[in-house]
Formats: sequence, structure tokens, C-alpha cells
Amino acid sequence: MKLKFKIVIGILSLVLLAQLIRPEELHSAKAQQVKRLAGVPEEVAKVLETSCFDCHSSQTSWLWFDRLTPVNFLVASHIRDGRKALDFSQWDSLATPKRNAMLYFALNGMLSKEMPLSSYTALHPAAKLDQNDIDLLRAYLLNTALSKPASTKSNSKGAAQSSVMEVKRSPNGIAYLPNYRNWKAISTTERFDNGTIRIIFGNPVAVKAIHEGKTNPWPDGTIFAKTAWKQEQGKDGSVYAGQFVQVEFMIKDVKQYAGTKGWGWARWKGENLLPYGKTVKFDSECISCHRPERDHDYVFTTPFDIKDLNKK
Amino acid sequence: MRLIFTAGLFALMILLMTGCKPNSVDRINTGASITSISRLPENPLEMIPMAVSLQPQRKTMSTLYGNGIAAKRLKDDADYAAGSVLYLVTWKGKADPDWFGARIPDRVMAIESVYFDQNGQKSYTFFKGPAWNSGLDLKKEERLSIILSIPVAKSP
Repeated sequence: MKLKFKIVIGILSLVLLAQLIRPEELHSAKAQQVKRLAGVPEEVAKVLETSCFDCHSSQTSWLWFDRLTPVNFLVASHIRDGRKALDFSQWDSLATPKRNAMLYFALNGMLSKEMPLSSYTALHPAAKLDQNDIDLLRAYLLNTALSKPASTKSNSKGAAQSSVMEVKRSPNGIAYLPNYRNWKAISTTERFDNGTIRIIFGNPVAVKAIHEGKTNPWPDGTIFAKTAWKQEQGKDGSVYAGQFVQVEFMIKDVKQYAGTKGWGWARWKGENLLPYGKTVKFDSECISCHRPERDHDYVFTTPFDIKDLNKK
Repeated sequence: MRLIFTAGLFALMILLMTGCKPNSVDRINTGASITSISRLPENPLEMIPMAVSLQPQRKTMSTLYGNGIAAKRLKDDADYAAGSVLYLVTWKGKADPDWFGARIPDRVMAIESVYFDQNGQKSYTFFKGPAWNSGLDLKKEERLSIILSIPVAKSP
């Protein structure tokens, strides 16, 4: 009996002692108040504040059980990852298109039921979203945060310097692939959230995989090139591909890219094809955005089936 | 008894784990693909994509395809040379189920072609689905000039 008592006391004191070890975040947990998001209706701002800010801004309200060791370490790591993917504390320093991109990203996280994390809402029921909250954000984005095509500027496209341009490697070491324009279009996309129009090119390996119905997972050697142009209003009322924005690549190699979900990710921006990303690890950004598609090998595009129909 | 129980529990766990595994279904946009050419001389989706456009009023989206000769225009902006073949494929658009903020091709509405013969003479054909019969189109000249003036999507 006495031994049992001693063990219980021992465990209890260990638990208590453990409380002295806490993640850095908690030491400085003054919960910086983030200002109400500027330029957004109050109801919309409130939804985001209630459901997203704990992990996606510097305004975290730690509940008592969040503070207990070892729970606090788990919570702190969630917050760290959360802010890396989306941080509303930066709102004021961002231009409108970036803000809108943030809101579309947030809404798509909600629509795919990724966010808020169910493990989080289970313990923080106030953060749960209902259909009204989602509809509110959706309606706001549809009515106000829509990108409009620019009107035609005569001969504003200077993409003709293609000849021999030295294109730098992506920070993760991936080299630019200049020949994607000879590949086939596996889909096109109109993006009204950011005013672009896109062609998704697939290399021969990708096209063959589609044809053979082997796209989940995609085979090694598959490469996609997604090109985006600014929408440009033509005189006839149609919208055309205007200024070149960027080209993004996904290169499949399960072994080589084991650390990044089996894909090599890279993006080159603008006429000068500047590689995107500041650090080697920039591709965590790509992965966090593609995460809702993890059951589809991280690929958003639902491709056309492209057959040589003359071949019997 | 305990052994049977453990084995049973183990089997149940494996069943649950495999049962809950997301189904790995291949996703193909079959509705938007050209699956039978019937009267079409070739499958335009096999050709080189050159331009994309949207028709907001009709909620359609088009892609201009070309053969190798036509695709030279991507580099040098030159006029379409003799031997060029162009196809304009137009789809009804639909909301992208995977990304709020995007629209993707749904089903093919029309296929139009422009052939340049060896003398540079142009011939326009409008193909009507689903059998892609070459249909009459009264605005032939207008469509021809629209297709030829579509600005190609340039990339560095």
C-alpha cells in the first residue's frame, strides 16, 4: 500500500517538475493583440479571428490545458507550422492581391475540411465553423475580392528574348526546363481569384500515365509545368493570356524527392524567370498548399485524356 | 482464449486501417476530353497548345492548338505559314471542385479548324458534336479572322 502511494507521489512530482520545461512560445505568451483585419467587413474578420488566429497569427489564446507540459509542446509546434503556412499578423504589410490570395487560401482550407484542424476544434469548440461562416467568406470573396482582367495594351508583350537566357536554379537545386511548350496541355484553368489564366502542360510520361490510368500515384518521370498569364481583356469581349506571370514545375521522383512528398517543386517568375524562394526549404510552402490533394498524389489538376485517335 | 482474442483484435485493426485508407482513384476529366474523333481528321488535344481564352458572357473557355508549323508563331510572332493547321477547342467551363477561385473545362462545345494549304489558302471548318460532323457556319469569315488574330500565350 505504501509502495503504491510512493509511486503515485513520484509520478505526480515528475509531472509537476515537467511543468518547468516549456516551449519558448509560452515564455513569451503575451498574446499580442492583432488588429482587426483592415478592409474586410467586420463579420468576415470575426470569423477568421475566432477560427484561425490561434494558430495563424501572433494572437494565440492559450487555454489552461494547452499550457500543460507535454501538451504545450504539441500546441507550439502546431502554431509554428500554422504561421509558416499562413500568418494574419502580416496583414497590414500586404498589398490587396496578397491579402485576397490569403483569404482564398483560408477559404479553400475550410472547404476541403482541412481547417480548422479537427484535433483543435475538439478542444476549442468555439473555433468550429458552420456553413454560415463559410458562406459569408465565400460571398465576400465573390462580390468584392475578384480580380478583373486588364484591358489590352498594344504590344506590351516582350517575351521574345527567349533565345539564350541564363536561368538560375531554384533554391532547392532544381534546374529550369525550357522545353515544356512542346508538351501537351492536360488542362487549362481560369483563376478568378487572382486574375490569371493557365495552361498545365504534361510531359510524355504524364500523358502516357493518364492514358494507362496510372495517375494515383503518378509514375517517376512525370513532370507538370503550370504556366500563368495575366488575364487581358480583348476588344471582342473575350479574355486572353496577357503578360507572362510564372511557370511552376512538379517533377516526380519518389527517391530523389522523398523529403518533399515524392515531388520536386520549383517556380520561375516573370519575363526574367527569376527562381522563387529564399531558402532551400521554400518548397514547404508548395506542399502546404497542395496538402488537401494528398489523396491524389498532391496534384490539383484533373487531366484530359489525350489519345491518338487515329491509331487503332 | 486470450490468444484468439488478440488475434481477432489484430485482424480487426488491420481491417480498419485498410478500410479507412483513402481510395486511390485515378482522376481524369473524361467529359472534357475528346474521346472519339468520328469525322475529325485528328485529335486536336494531341497538338501544341498555343493560346487560351475565356468568353465571360457564354461562360466558355477555349484553347488554340497548332501543328509544328503553326507553333513557330510562339517564338517569332510571324504570320501562320503554308502548311499550318490550327484548332480552336471550346469548352463549357465549370467551377473547379478542388479550388474555390478557379474554373476548369467541363464539356466540349465546339471544335473549329483552319487549314493553310501549300499556297497559303485558308479553309475553315466548324465541327458539330457529338459526331463532329462538319457543320454549316454562316459566320465563316468572321470566325476565321477571330481565330487567326487570337494572341498567342507567350512565355520567355
